[in-house]
Amino acid sequence: MSIFDIEFAAVTDIGKIREKNEDNVLISSDLGLGVVADGMGGHSAGEIASSIAVSVLAETIRKINSGALQIPETFLPKLAPTERKLLMAANLANAAIYSTAQSSDVYKMMGTTLTGVLFDKDCAIAVHVGDSRIYLYRDNKIIQITTDHSLAMEHVRRGLLSKADADKSKIQNVLTRAMGIKKNIEFDLLKFPIKAGDILVLCSDGLYKGLTEQAIAEILSKDKDMPIVKLCKHLVRTSNERDGQDNISAVVIKILAPKKLSFGQRVKKLFSRAS
Amino acid sequence: MLDGQSLVGKEISGCEILTKVAEGGMGAVFKARHKALNRIVCVKILSPSLANDKKAVTLFLTEARAIAELDHPNIVNVYNVGKEQGYYFIVMSFIEGQTLSAMLKKERVLPIGRVLDLFDGVLKGLSVAHEKGIIHRDIKPSNILITPEGRPKIVDFGIAKKVDKEKGSTKTTELAGTAYFIAPEQALGKDIDTRADLYSIGASMYYVLTGHFPYNGKNTIDIIQKHINDPVPDPSKLRPELPGWLSLAIQKLMSKNPDDRFQTAKEVYTYFNKMRAEEQLKVRTMHGRAAIDLGIESSLKIVNEEKHSTDTLRKMRAEDVYRNVTSRQTKPATGKSTTQMPQLDSLGAENNAPKSKPPLAPTQELVTNKKVTQTTIPSTVSAMATIKTKQYAKMFLQLLVLLPLFLCFAACCAYIFFGLGKICSAYVADTNGFITNILSPVLSGKMAEGQLLYIALAVVAVAGIFAISAVKAYSKTTALLLALAAASYLSGLFTPDVTFLDMSAVSQYLFSPEYYFCYLVLAAAWTLSLCWRLDRTWPERILGTALVFMAAVLSYKATVLSITPDFAGIATKILFGGAILFALLTIYYLVFKAAHSMILPSLCLLVCIACFWCYNVSGLAQHMQTTFSTLAEVIPMEEPDAEQRQQQENQNELLGIPSVQLFSAFAKTKAVNYLSDEDKYKFLDNAITQYAGIFIAPQQRPLFIHLLSIYYLSGPSKASFTIWDYAVSYPIDNFNRNAQTNNAYSFLVVLLFILAGFNCVGGILFKEDL
Repeated sequence: MSIFDIEFAAVTDIGKIREKNEDNVLISSDLGLGVVADGMGGHSAGEIASSIAVSVLAETIRKINSGALQIPETFLPKLAPTERKLLMAANLANAAIYSTAQSSDVYKMMGTTLTGVLFDKDCAIAVHVGDSRIYLYRDNKIIQITTDHSLAMEHVRRGLLSKADADKSKIQNVLTRAMGIKKNIEFDLLKFPIKAGDILVLCSDGLYKGLTEQAIAEILSKDKDMPIVKLCKHLVRTSNERDGQDNISAVVIKILAPKKLSFGQRVKKLFSRAS
Repeated sequence: MLDGQSLVGKEISGCEILTKVAEGGMGAVFKARHKALNRIVCVKILSPSLANDKKAVTLFLTEARAIAELDHPNIVNVYNVGKEQGYYFIVMSFIEGQTLSAMLKKERVLPIGRVLDLFDGVLKGLSVAHEKGIIHRDIKPSNILITPEGRPKIVDFGIAKKVDKEKGSTKTTELAGTAYFIAPEQALGKDIDTRADLYSIGASMYYVLTGHFPYNGKNTIDIIQKHINDPVPDPSKLRPELPGWLSLAIQKLMSKNPDDRFQTAKEVYTYFNKMRAEEQLKVRTMHGRAAIDLGIESSLKIVNEEKHSTDTLRKMRAEDVYRNVTSRQTKPATGKSTTQMPQLDSLGAENNAPKSKPPLAPTQELVTNKKVTQTTIPSTVSAMATIKTKQYAKMFLQLLVLLPLFLCFAACCAYIFFGLGKICSAYVADTNGFITNILSPVLSGKMAEGQLLYIALAVVAVAGIFAISAVKAYSKTTALLLALAAASYLSGLFTPDVTFLDMSAVSQYLFSPEYYFCYLVLAAAWTLSLCWRLDRTWPERILGTALVFMAAVLSYKATVLSITPDFAGIATKILFGGAILFALLTIYYLVFKAAHSMILPSLCLLVCIACFWCYNVSGLAQHMQTTFSTLAEVIPMEEPDAEQRQQQENQNELLGIPSVQLFSAFAKTKAVNYLSDEDKYKFLDNAITQYAGIFIAPQQRPLFIHLLSIYYLSGPSKASFTIWDYAVSYPIDNFNRNAQTNNAYSFLVVLLFILAGFNCVGGILFKEDL
């Protein structure tokens, strides 16, 4: 649990032309978790894959927190507990999607992206696979924390394509990594410190197709005092107006100054046993 | 998802679907019988997931119609296209035969002439399609069918592919198409034209002629990137007998820049035909093996172009190696890639930083500037939960409902037990001991009026106390409720004349020993509750320490008597030292053995209180002992005369008790033992008045008479014990006596009531008491 007060909001929209929404979002303030999963279009059951991804992830974290599930000691022992928890949950989610996909013809070839962020004391830990993104907005600057696992970004990484070209590229939506395609996949695990005043935006590709990084930054700087749910809706609506070719999902997370504890909370904290 | 099975046997556009041949993400291909023409055809059905997309459907139909118009022997024929029963379909000719890749697998090596013949046909078909503006997008050996007559036919024009592209749906590289033959501009996602197909022709020819893919890699991305980046391989290295012109032509087809390639398919096949003709001419005229015609080579300008591009490529490759090294550093040994985030400060500074890396790699700065943010996370996670307003509201509501309920219940319990005590007070006698008095209602064997009702109510109340402990908010209050019930009972039992919860006199007596006793009960109970939880937090330990101090002081103050303790006796010193020692031990166990000590601190605390108690009453006991000893000495006791003794013995023998067993030798010597109780009292009363009237106060007389009778009956040790017993229970007797006037019992009940209320609030707010 973070020392900061954290506000979460999530919105998902079907977009203008799609018949179904294959995105799934999840926020949980008691777990300190925000997740976006974008089920794969063209495939049979993208929305099922993405819903399994978010639910298994959250459920696993909840179980680990409550002690109902133990992380095996051999599972990446060098990582910090929260990192292990998140990776474990992501791995279980992938296994769940993969086995569901293998179980029936209807689900065959389904897959999903997964981008989640879990808050720990003074930092955030993100798990990421696919082309959903996390943007960090701090001091009027915005940066993309995750690297898309798309062919285009793969080219950018190798210097074969410029970032600007990649954003316009047609191979942007060709993923190089996704959940549910293979039994074992590699996740990106990122850990970064957070500060009061930070805004994190987790979004599916639908959002950033309609809104450039700069456009997101402008909206955030202009409306950052707006209630967070409104801000989140505003982002999605704006993106939908400008593009709307895909499902649009966004999770907006606002980091506020360390919470001022009420007397009762402080007393409770004082007396809560160290676990 | 297209359900292949449900379509088999159905009829679409006059074709009876026979079996499913293939299935891809975009749709399925079926073998079917055209009923009217009675010939086998191939029906391709667009995936229903795309069928709802108007733009996709338009593209599908337009391009299918365009191919239908082509009507070329080297392109698969399209007979019909349209929509039926909700399915978009294309009816095509069914080609018996095998794909070029299957043929290659079977025959291993194909003669060069045969390959050129086949690709001549392919290029001719492609040329026609290109003239119509149709790009195949996926030329590869498995998309070239060879009819039994040996004629190549291009299949699977990129209809669905284009549709998919337009739709912009997400897919993985595993499904994105064949990486081995993909043109660089296509791999980069740029706009492509007909020349992309020519690159694929070149790559396919390379594969068919050499049996190897032009680029190989550990995964699809790797292969795709080699198409973009790596120098064009020379097929003649793998197949040396390949004519030089062919090898160079393939390399020219596979140029990275579309402008460096042959520009049209027609250009390619005319060049091939021309070179083959010249080759044959050479073979005929020179009777030697083919040599590279320098003139033609220079006219192709392949050599120069190649040199130029290889140079740049080599440069790029060197940088690749560098990049690989840097990117490998970010991978931890665990096998999971942990990418660290660039810090924002460094991001801002990045623009001003001198760029030493080539501009070719825009991500370079990002890689090198990544600072490792090693924030250690303590293993203990604070259990603080984010309590939102909603939860506050919920808690408030709980408090509003549960607390009054609880207080009502507690008050009811208290009143029931008070009533029971009041009824039972009829059995209470001053001569009885404390415990005897408490148990009097049970021991008496009689029932007062209404006692049965109150006992029933009390049983119900106790059952209720245990029952509500199952409710989460009340779970920790069981002990307190029981204590409250007990205090109410005692209050009824010993102060039946005081009305229930009469607090009228409380303020005057707040600092009297009786009230200290009440405080002691609370402090001790609280300390014990702290002792009985494991893993005490530091605040709990500090609180515990303070409470132990308080309990010690209170136990001293509550039992302190007007007679100062007799400090001369060694026993008293031990008691005082022991009390302090046990208080310290309690603190030690409470604070430093917080993890596992529950019983020891509790016991120590009790012993400490007991020691203080005994210490305080020791003065009284000593005083009584001295008085009594003097008394026993001054009262002369003559031997019983024989007549009296005989009388008594006879009496006892009548009762069937042998006199020897009944009386000790000492007792036999005292005449007083043979008197009846009434006579005994009178006799001793007279004796005291006679010999010791000065130092025995009249109100103490019955006590001393009682002691004397015990002394004469059972000896001095029993008398001492009785004295101590009296002294120790003196504070409680005192308490009971004074409670009649100072309402101490009411005060105790109220204190317990308030504490239980607090406990309940704590339980609701924090789900645990303090």
